[in-house]
Amino acid sequence: MATRPGNCPERPRWLQFREQPFGTSLLISGLLMAAAGLCYGSAFSVSELGAKASGMGTAFIGIADDGSALVYNPAGIAFQSGAHLEMDNAVVVGLFRFTPSSTPVGQVVPPNGYSNSIKPHFIPLAFMYATKQISPKLTVGMAIFTPFGLSANSTNFHDGDPNLTKFVARFAGTRVRLESFWFQPTFAYKLKDNLAIAIGPTFVHTHLELEKSFLNPLGPDDGLSFGRTAAPTVLPGVPVNEAAAIIARLLPEGRSRVAGTANSPAISAGLLWKHPSSKTNIGLMFRSSVVNHLSGKASFAFGNQPYALEQYVGPKFLPNAFPNQAITGSFPTPATYGIGFANSKFWNTTFAVDVRMQDYKKFKNVPLDFGINKEVPGTTNIALPAEQILNFNFRESWNFAFGAERPISPTTTIRVGYQFDMTPVVPQSAGPLFPDADRNSFTVGATRKSGTKEFTFFYEAMKFMDRQTNVPANDYQWTNGDYHNFAHVAGLAMRFDVTNFSIKKH
Amino acid sequence: MKMTIVSVLLLVVLSFGAQSQTLDTTTFIVVGEGLAAGMANFGLSSVMQSKDFAALLAAQMNTGMEQPLMQPPGIGDVVGYPGQEVQVQKYPQGSVRQTYLPTDLTKAPISTPPLFVTNLSVPGLTLNDSVTMRPVAPVVQRGNMKQTVFNMILGFPQLILDNVPLWTQFEYAQAMFPTVALIELGYYEALNAAVAGDPRLLPSPAAFGATYGTVVAGLRGLQAQVIVTTIPNPLDTGYFNSPAAAAGVVLASPSVLSIGYNIGPQDYVTRNGLQTISNQLSTLQESSQEILPTPGGFLPLPPGSTLSAATAAAITSGVNALNAQILSAAKANGAVVYDLNAFLHNIKVSGAKAGAATVTGDYLGGFYSLDGVYPGATGHALIANDILRFLNQTYHRSFALVNVASVAASDPALQYVKPASAQLFTPSSLGLGR
Repeated sequence: MATRPGNCPERPRWLQFREQPFGTSLLISGLLMAAAGLCYGSAFSVSELGAKASGMGTAFIGIADDGSALVYNPAGIAFQSGAHLEMDNAVVVGLFRFTPSSTPVGQVVPPNGYSNSIKPHFIPLAFMYATKQISPKLTVGMAIFTPFGLSANSTNFHDGDPNLTKFVARFAGTRVRLESFWFQPTFAYKLKDNLAIAIGPTFVHTHLELEKSFLNPLGPDDGLSFGRTAAPTVLPGVPVNEAAAIIARLLPEGRSRVAGTANSPAISAGLLWKHPSSKTNIGLMFRSSVVNHLSGKASFAFGNQPYALEQYVGPKFLPNAFPNQAITGSFPTPATYGIGFANSKFWNTTFAVDVRMQDYKKFKNVPLDFGINKEVPGTTNIALPAEQILNFNFRESWNFAFGAERPISPTTTIRVGYQFDMTPVVPQSAGPLFPDADRNSFTVGATRKSGTKEFTFFYEAMKFMDRQTNVPANDYQWTNGDYHNFAHVAGLAMRFDVTNFSIKKH
Repeated sequence: MKMTIVSVLLLVVLSFGAQSQTLDTTTFIVVGEGLAAGMANFGLSSVMQSKDFAALLAAQMNTGMEQPLMQPPGIGDVVGYPGQEVQVQKYPQGSVRQTYLPTDLTKAPISTPPLFVTNLSVPGLTLNDSVTMRPVAPVVQRGNMKQTVFNMILGFPQLILDNVPLWTQFEYAQAMFPTVALIELGYYEALNAAVAGDPRLLPSPAAFGATYGTVVAGLRGLQAQVIVTTIPNPLDTGYFNSPAAAAGVVLASPSVLSIGYNIGPQDYVTRNGLQTISNQLSTLQESSQEILPTPGGFLPLPPGSTLSAATAAAITSGVNALNAQILSAAKANGAVVYDLNAFLHNIKVSGAKAGAATVTGDYLGGFYSLDGVYPGATGHALIANDILRFLNQTYHRSFALVNVASVAASDPALQYVKPASAQLFTPSSLGLGR
């Protein structure tokens, strides 16, 4: 009779399949990650990258004792013996509300403000981690995760709807989707029994999609340049700038969509030092910034709305002025620096504190380059510039996490945590793409062990501090107002000790 | 009185309602008739168009206003006079629609007219015309001055272009996608009824209110801030004068009018009546006659020279009913109401200072032009300032006011004020009652 490693008796075949969860996990994770992406860490950071860490308010740099160590502190895997597979899943329910402080005349605002999470309401997240100890000093790992993601959708309208019922801040953005997949092989090495370092050269695949309305009839927008050109003909008795503003309003609203992908290198690193007598750990982590060089497509549409100038300029005027085309651009993501402390000396409880800084100052703008533009010799009536820069001017973000865990039985551990996350989004950039604010998060979690399996869950109640913006420059984008947000995040992780696992040959 | 109180309450409510709204002046359009168009004296011409309250408002609000400028001496029929024959233009008119000097004066004048205008006001236009009347080719319509003027303002150059829409005034206003729209409609209907002395010519309030509501709602639906003006009572204009005021114009004592023309103390003497009386008295003076042309009085005045007190009351009542409809339509659609009727009434009652001068609402009082129903430059400046004060208060803005003294200094309307000499004609000097 064949024996399984560890001399366990062979199980029925259906049960063998259940003992091969990684294949199933891979499939599920692959599907979920395709939809993953969300803004529930600072701006577009995702901090809930592991269920165990999330149960402790993400204070995990000094602990780093499961698969998610690969992202919280890669050096932590050096202290994990054997081989493990882990899959973390989470679902986020965002309750995002925006009530504008001023609106165009006659604007119809929903009684509870606008929702920035029109669809989908439930956003899934999934991450996968694998580690294997190669030797007493060397451990390797592989992580697939999304430390940056964003999904906001304020599109409450069809193009043909009356303007006064459309989402008021549509010219600042209606929909954004960002997924930054990190494929991170990691090498951790024990310098001493209580000191390890790790490095993870990473391949990053990023997908970005932005939608917004343009040709804003109420604000300075693309229509103005057309208006200045047409002013002497259309309204010769009016000063050029005033005429241009009037003429810009004679154009229809347009919708633009930009989508692109990028493949970029990155690196992660970590250090973990343990002081056994005081049961204290100190960890450091680093994740590099990435400049994602996007290539993709820009498309423009103008619906079927009649407009005053249509019969004077012809039906092809606007499609010619804003041609669909391939584009390039760049999208930076910030570096992350973290330090964490953990202590297990008292009350049979582990206490942990993390401080993380994300260098969101790098996220100043997103330049988009159009190959077909008005500066290309020989082109006529093209309204697109060679480069359009979306300015965001984010600031640094600081994150403070506190957590505690306590085993209440040999198989069960409970956790609690708190996290304060300072938003990098400056008032100028608060809007439908980034309806962000400082956050206070309270978390609970637990792990149940069963043989070689661990099941961990967490729940996080994320209260965004109410935010009110009043930036004069945004007056005509109608993004000033009250942002009142809350998010529920819940997740489940399955971790398997596969040290003695082997696929049986039939 | 009851209606006045209701009107005041409505205005207060509407004003509070507007306080939370913002005023975006990017595209300011005016939907009106002769008053907002700049009609004055004996036609619509660039002389007054550039000085009318719409142009002044746009200038003070730092926004563009494309006027359909007309070459002097202008076009359009004058209220109270027979309609003019429409003729193909002749010197000094060339294109009729005036072209523009370029901003850069080193360049040649712009020979083409603007594609669009933003002051859509057309002299003689009624509210019903606003939603039904369209440009009709050819541009010059022999026998139809009103259509010709309409074509010149809202159908030019559209009538000479292919495959472009020919809008009604209301459709034109919507197509301009305004941020601010000022509606000044209904005055012509009131003038027409008052000048004809026939209150039955006033539109039905219910029908008027329904159409007015359609116009306001149509503009509000475009997210425009809509300012509606109440209809001025024609009896407050210089066209209609009390016997005392009329006597001052014709240099006679009031009793000359009451005895000689049988004009009651509550009746009104019209602009045409003043001209007839002046002519008769002047003729008497020149011929040194001391006897009356007919036994017991003067030659009878032609129709339209006076307005009886009863008819005046009916006109006032009718105008108030229309204004109530305007208030109701404004409230129903979130528009704000500027009470032009009250302002012109105050002018009539109290006059106004214009620099060192005082203007009144009487004929030759300085406020109105020679037609008696449309203001002169100073009158337009005073209206503009009152609207600017209203906008500043309603929308918490700080638009500067027009320098009325400067306007008055060069306003011909202040130079043809009524004579200040003593009463030249008295019953005894004319042998009345002999």
